[in-house]
Amino acid sequence: MFGLNKIIPVDSDYKFLNFRKNFYIASGIAIFLSLLLLFFKGLNLGIDFKGGTLIEISTNNSSIGELRDILSPNFNEVSLQEFGDDQTIIIRLQNENNQESIETVNKVKQLINDKVSEFRRSEFVGPTVSSELLWKGFQAVSFALMAILIYIWLRFEWQFGFGAVVALTHDVLFTLGVLSILNVEFSLSTIAAVLTIAGYSINDTVVIFDRVRENLRKYKNIDLIDVFNMSINNTLSRTVMTSITTLLALISLYLFGGEVIKPFALTMIIGVLIGTYSSIFIAVPTLLVFKFRPQDEDENEN
Amino acid sequence: MKNYPLWKIFIVFILVSLGVVFAIPSILYQEDTGNWYLDNRLNLGLDLQGGSYLLLEVQTDVLIEEEFENFSDTVRIIARENRVKINNIERIDEKLKVRFDSEEKLDEIRSSFLQNYRSVKFTVKNNIASISIDQLYRKSIKDSAIKQSLEIVRKRIDESGTKEPLIQRSGSERILLQLPGVKNPERIKDLLGKTAKLNFHMVDDDDSKSLSLNIAPFGKMIVSDINNEEVKYLLEKKSRVGGENLIDANASFDPTEGHAVSFRFDTTGAQKFGKATSENIGKRFAVVLDGVVITAPVINSAITGGSGIITGNFTSQEAADLAVLLRAGALPAPLEIVEERSVGPGLGADSIAAGKIASLIGMILVCIFMILIYGSFGVIANISLIANLFIIVSLLGTIGATLTLPGIAGIVLTIGMAVDANVLIFERIKEESVKNKKIYETIKKGFDRALSTILDANITTLIASLLLFVFGSGPIKGFSITLSLGVIASMFTALMLTNLLVHFYVSFTSKKEINL
Repeated sequence: MFGLNKIIPVDSDYKFLNFRKNFYIASGIAIFLSLLLLFFKGLNLGIDFKGGTLIEISTNNSSIGELRDILSPNFNEVSLQEFGDDQTIIIRLQNENNQESIETVNKVKQLINDKVSEFRRSEFVGPTVSSELLWKGFQAVSFALMAILIYIWLRFEWQFGFGAVVALTHDVLFTLGVLSILNVEFSLSTIAAVLTIAGYSINDTVVIFDRVRENLRKYKNIDLIDVFNMSINNTLSRTVMTSITTLLALISLYLFGGEVIKPFALTMIIGVLIGTYSSIFIAVPTLLVFKFRPQDEDENEN
Repeated sequence: MKNYPLWKIFIVFILVSLGVVFAIPSILYQEDTGNWYLDNRLNLGLDLQGGSYLLLEVQTDVLIEEEFENFSDTVRIIARENRVKINNIERIDEKLKVRFDSEEKLDEIRSSFLQNYRSVKFTVKNNIASISIDQLYRKSIKDSAIKQSLEIVRKRIDESGTKEPLIQRSGSERILLQLPGVKNPERIKDLLGKTAKLNFHMVDDDDSKSLSLNIAPFGKMIVSDINNEEVKYLLEKKSRVGGENLIDANASFDPTEGHAVSFRFDTTGAQKFGKATSENIGKRFAVVLDGVVITAPVINSAITGGSGIITGNFTSQEAADLAVLLRAGALPAPLEIVEERSVGPGLGADSIAAGKIASLIGMILVCIFMILIYGSFGVIANISLIANLFIIVSLLGTIGATLTLPGIAGIVLTIGMAVDANVLIFERIKEESVKNKKIYETIKKGFDRALSTILDANITTLIASLLLFVFGSGPIKGFSITLSLGVIASMFTALMLTNLLVHFYVSFTSKKEINL
């Protein structure tokens, strides 16, 4: 209508797979760096997984420095951080045990009561609960990934399942690596984001695989590489379109959804970018590892 | 439109209308109205409306310890009755080892012990008895403690004036509380943090030697004062009467003593209290709450009416809270808060406002983009998207789901992902339009070809989000509900509504070919 739909023509013909080595190397380096980061720097665990106390306050024109001067002498491990604007401050404290938390919160409230216009939220996660949450989060992620892979395996040939695993692992590790670099807080909602990325990445991969399977049946005399390139090109405008609409919604969430949701939105944005990249440049090329033409089985199906 | 099946038009029309009709209560109303239709509205989670979420753990280990102490006291009493000396009593691992002076009469001691505690294991080897309990016994102690605790917590929360609290058991030894609208969570935590075991003990003021050595002789205990830990009392271990016999307690004001709590015993309690006070005129009577002495007044005269007051430098809030605690009764074991999430009303309102803006802007951006790319077909996709949102909200409302902040994130994400099915269809139609010249055939092929891809793509997302729901906790659950509903709704709107609208559009404009 406005000519924008011609950005990606129906008959685009990019030779993605011809440069696959470059992408393998690029992704390999990215994954290696991500692993190094995760291993040495780790993730910025929030209180969900580390335990501790978090208090969010609105001040009545007191600076973060004033509050720090009041609180620091009274607690061992206290950190203050502006949250969105300079009148909203997050106070984080570590507690040795559960009982201490009640006293800690009470003490903080007493000490800074006259500097605060509103106590916006207070959260406390005890040591047993935080390790349980971590374990449960890990379980949720593993089960979800397994279930998705079983589905792929049932719907496609196992080679596709392998390609999906590679892409998925790539996306999750890469995203975690970026989270580590950017020091994004890793909390329960970040886990939800990572899992949604997994879902999104698989979703994206499945759409292209669907087309690969279809084209493998249709064009039996064309080279595998060309079939794969053709499949990616066939679905390219859809891949780009969906990424853009999803990113538009996520960017809006990041910019206007409030401070609490920012880490979630940011994680998703990173993940969608990586997921889109991997579906095109990683998932499909891995299929080349197998010199397969699954036409024998498929002829029976048709 | 001639060949379009009427039943399809009918179904789409009905479902979309239902979506709109049942989304209205959630969009327009915030409060319960009592009207069945208007109450089909989604509930706001604590993070959006403000309130406290608390996870309490019943400290059942304390009960097991207490049980072992009871065993050791019982053994001592029985041994004394049988005139057998006990050399020492030791806790080794999960056993109580009692070393007697001789092997005589151990069988008698064993059988009278077992009369008191039926399912306890009591084995004798030479002059040593070992007492232990099995897993079943432990479990029954824990279970009854949790049940009682639930009851007491419920009473305390009700007394504190919290509206619509949710109190339920969570796992084997935890209690989960959701308290919407609580403005001062610290007070609630204070109320729950106290066991509120109230007991009246006689004070032994004659034995100053034990007190100065800080060693309590058998049958006695040393307890400190609530206001000053240095002040100690030597008390009889056995209480004369306890909080379980209270039937009422109220905050009151005593002109000379200040804020106080007046209480009233039931008949049994009144008798015990009367007996204790009449026998001990001139002595001191200590009021012990959770292991500290609140007050220890001298008994001036026998109190036979079964009521009295407790004083002790209370503020009016403390007196009121103590009255609440006494009315609700004592917890069988201490409760520990293991997780808390309290959100003030200000942050909740801000989150709702931010969520609304983010959804609105996200939707406008996506809509504009779709129109830019697909023109009239983009308008169709946008109508589907809006219908999709109505359906999500109406589903959330009718199943009574709770909308949380991550839930809002799920909705915003759905806005972006919901158009995906439409995109898949349009792209297929676009491809088919190159090969095909007949417009209806092109549309049909486009939808048919896109179908399996749409199913595959959405089912994978659905699997991920359902598992998030099953294994996830708290915020993850809220997110997965909206995402799942969003995926389901988007499949329906893309395959049914978009299909109908595309046909409607093509026949209305009498188009001969598609230019996407």
